[in-house]
Amino acid sequence: MSEEKKDIATGEETLEFVLDEPGLPGSGEFVSAAAEDVSEAEESAEPSELDEEKMSPVFKLLARPSLPRLESENRARLQMQSPNRLHFYWSVRSNPFQTLNKALGAATSNYTLVVRLVDLRRESEELHRIDPEGNWWFNVDADSQYRAEVGFYAPNRPFVRVLYSNTIETPRKSPSRRTAAEAEWRVPAQKFAQVLDVAGFKQDAFDVAIAGDDADAAGDATYRAFGRLSGKPASEFAGLDTEELRYAMLALAAGATLEQLRFRVSERIFAVLERLTADASKAEALAALRSEFDIEEEELLAEEEEFGPAVFGASLVNFPKRTRLRTRPRGFDRVSKFEPMASHSLAAR
Amino acid sequence: MPVGYFSLILHAHLPFVRHPEYPEFLEEDWLFEAITEVYLPLIVIFQRLHEADAAPRVAMNISPPLCEMLADPLLQTRYTRHLENLLELAEKEVHRTAKEAREFHAVARMYADNLRESLDLWNGRYKRNLINAFRELQDEGVLEIITCCATHGFLPLISTHEARRAQIAIAVANYMKHFHRQPRGIWLAECAYEPGVEELLKEFGIEYFISDTHAILYGDPRPKYGVHAPVVCPNGVATFARDIETSQQVWSAEIGYPGNDLYREFYRDIGWDLPIDYLKPHLHEDGNRRHLGLKYHRITGRNVPQNRKEPYIPALATEKAAENAMHFIGERIKQAYKLRETFEGHPPLVVSPYDAELFGHWWYEGPQFIDFLFRKMHWDQSEIAAMTPGDFLDSGLPIQVQRPTASSWGENGYYKVWLNEGNSWMYPYQHDAERRMTQYCDAAKAGRGDAAMTTRILKQMARELLLAQSSDWAFQIYQGTTVEYSSRRFQSHIQRFDLLAQMLEQSSPPYEGEVATATADGQVLSPEQLELLTEIEHRDNIFAEIEHRIYCR
Repeated sequence: MSEEKKDIATGEETLEFVLDEPGLPGSGEFVSAAAEDVSEAEESAEPSELDEEKMSPVFKLLARPSLPRLESENRARLQMQSPNRLHFYWSVRSNPFQTLNKALGAATSNYTLVVRLVDLRRESEELHRIDPEGNWWFNVDADSQYRAEVGFYAPNRPFVRVLYSNTIETPRKSPSRRTAAEAEWRVPAQKFAQVLDVAGFKQDAFDVAIAGDDADAAGDATYRAFGRLSGKPASEFAGLDTEELRYAMLALAAGATLEQLRFRVSERIFAVLERLTADASKAEALAALRSEFDIEEEELLAEEEEFGPAVFGASLVNFPKRTRLRTRPRGFDRVSKFEPMASHSLAAR
Repeated sequence: MPVGYFSLILHAHLPFVRHPEYPEFLEEDWLFEAITEVYLPLIVIFQRLHEADAAPRVAMNISPPLCEMLADPLLQTRYTRHLENLLELAEKEVHRTAKEAREFHAVARMYADNLRESLDLWNGRYKRNLINAFRELQDEGVLEIITCCATHGFLPLISTHEARRAQIAIAVANYMKHFHRQPRGIWLAECAYEPGVEELLKEFGIEYFISDTHAILYGDPRPKYGVHAPVVCPNGVATFARDIETSQQVWSAEIGYPGNDLYREFYRDIGWDLPIDYLKPHLHEDGNRRHLGLKYHRITGRNVPQNRKEPYIPALATEKAAENAMHFIGERIKQAYKLRETFEGHPPLVVSPYDAELFGHWWYEGPQFIDFLFRKMHWDQSEIAAMTPGDFLDSGLPIQVQRPTASSWGENGYYKVWLNEGNSWMYPYQHDAERRMTQYCDAAKAGRGDAAMTTRILKQMARELLLAQSSDWAFQIYQGTTVEYSSRRFQSHIQRFDLLAQMLEQSSPPYEGEVATATADGQVLSPEQLELLTEIEHRDNIFAEIEHRIYCR
């Protein structure tokens, strides 16, 4: 059974293939292989004193646990590891190529089985060639929405979807841009920066303070600053996370190397930085920022991480430490200096 | 009126480890050590504070698996044996150190005295069931006991609505069994939250949950008082988030109090120091050396090697605990003034959640620290007042409405610890069992074999699924501690689930929808199958009250 429809995210033509039943979790080599690996590894964990001959069949069965072979099913499960990383596992119940051949006949020779990750918010996608069963890690953007699909791809042909996953929303990894609508709970950016500062989120505090109350204006200013740094028009960067981009420029202005940012920003931002700012100096980054934001060089301070996740005991606990190169705490009492960069002040520049 | 409020939250949890199939089992010692070093001392301290009218107010999560283990007769008997054996060793040590190791004699006497008192309390006052003691403390107004996901399941990585719902429903039912009332709050396992979880909590009457700092700080809209006030989700369920400053002060391995040179060294233990023949009667049957809990050295210095550690001096450590408690309160007062100024007069609430096992097990002097903390807070100052999240909700202070963001309190703040290259193999099995559980329960509900034996099998399948979902297994695999045991436990529960499912499936052919028909009655099970079912029930006896229909759609 197949169904043709327009892909929402890409606008491309998509053929929907429903193999037996809607894609819900099945079996796979990757699953079976993992099970065998684990079972072998666990043999050494058997209590050594067990006397095989004295064991009842039930005792023996339970003493040597092994994972059952998962039944062949259509499975497609997307899971979030972090705002920048997703895990996807899938398996296709019956041979997808046979089904494709049955439906499309000879016209299938160019088709390849792929996984397609669709960014539903940014309307973009990525494709990777895959086997009928397996798992994949995706680097993604925070504050977005994703769905993974397994299907057949051929250049200039409609995408044939076989399975699709649940949808995952990646969370923001910075403060919300929105203040409360009710007067009682409204908090201006400058005050919120203080609130973040006393909570120990100093980097976010600094960013909220320099961005000010008009998030859109701060976003535009960020693109312009990055445009200046990279020598490209600001319009080229639409869609990039502005908080993250600003953070990257602040880190560069504080003396961080590009390599230090590799795992601290999303893959997408890092790729842009690598492509456009690989040779940018600390002074250039600072100048670019200062062209749009009220920042002094002495506020940027190279500093080691404060605390790792290790605690006394068996746990690993999250402490805010997102940057090795963080900004010197702002003197939030110097209100005039840190007057939020509202839209009018930006417009006046 | 105080300048600010302080809420200590203790998270007491151990995975369900109970092996009746063996006469003794190494991992059962986790519970036994925690009873001796953490739960008994904390109970004693809270009771004494209460008797001294020092009015501590503490929220404490006692997770359902821990409740079930504390109330389990087999484990109670085994703990009694463990404690008696340890006391015997401690008394032997009093004699030995008097003759040949005078520098450790005072410490040896301390252990013997403490263990003797523990044994008396265990057998006498608490009648071998600490649940009664905790319940009493709640009824007396000292503790606000909160629940936790049924088996510490990591909700965002559970695949079906029904299986997530079951983690909450079964936890609440278990809480009511042990504490005879409805829980007000819940400790979401690993503080793992994702939007939507609050709907499940509301359904089961839970008023609040504990989350990590950025759940609120990155929530929408911006929180006016940051992490120093709770927020309430649009559906009315509140969340209280972790204060970073107090976390670091007490817990950080780099700067936390427990690292002081005068405190007891955790890793130097007589189980590794004394001759094996001398220790043998106090070891497990395998005769392997292990930590026995009698430790005679102090930390001495961060970089001092184990063989250079100096003798532990209890009086100095106690003094240091008092000093740290005083410092902690001083810092809270400073923090409260600063926050209050920032908040333009609004009283801040500092929420400090910790693993309960930090206090006594990892940090031997931790219970003393808590004792001093509440005494000093009660008698020596008036700026800070202790309160529980429930007290805050009752206070009438207004609370901002906000949508918290997905988060956990684990390393890096999200789900990496429980989902990574080393443990992602677990989830297809777990998710498969979750999906099938609902299918089997729906089938039974639809009348296809809802007989007594089917119910019995389904209840046990639910227990196996719940035990497989414990976040502890994935955590320990990630950490590289007890990897073999954790992998094995996960495999065991998945295997048992599958064996039980086969019992349901084999009696009649699958019907449309490819879910097997449930067994009609007990007669269709072969003697071997019945023996297997009985054995699995005997081993994994958690949640006698379990209601499998919670998994129905």
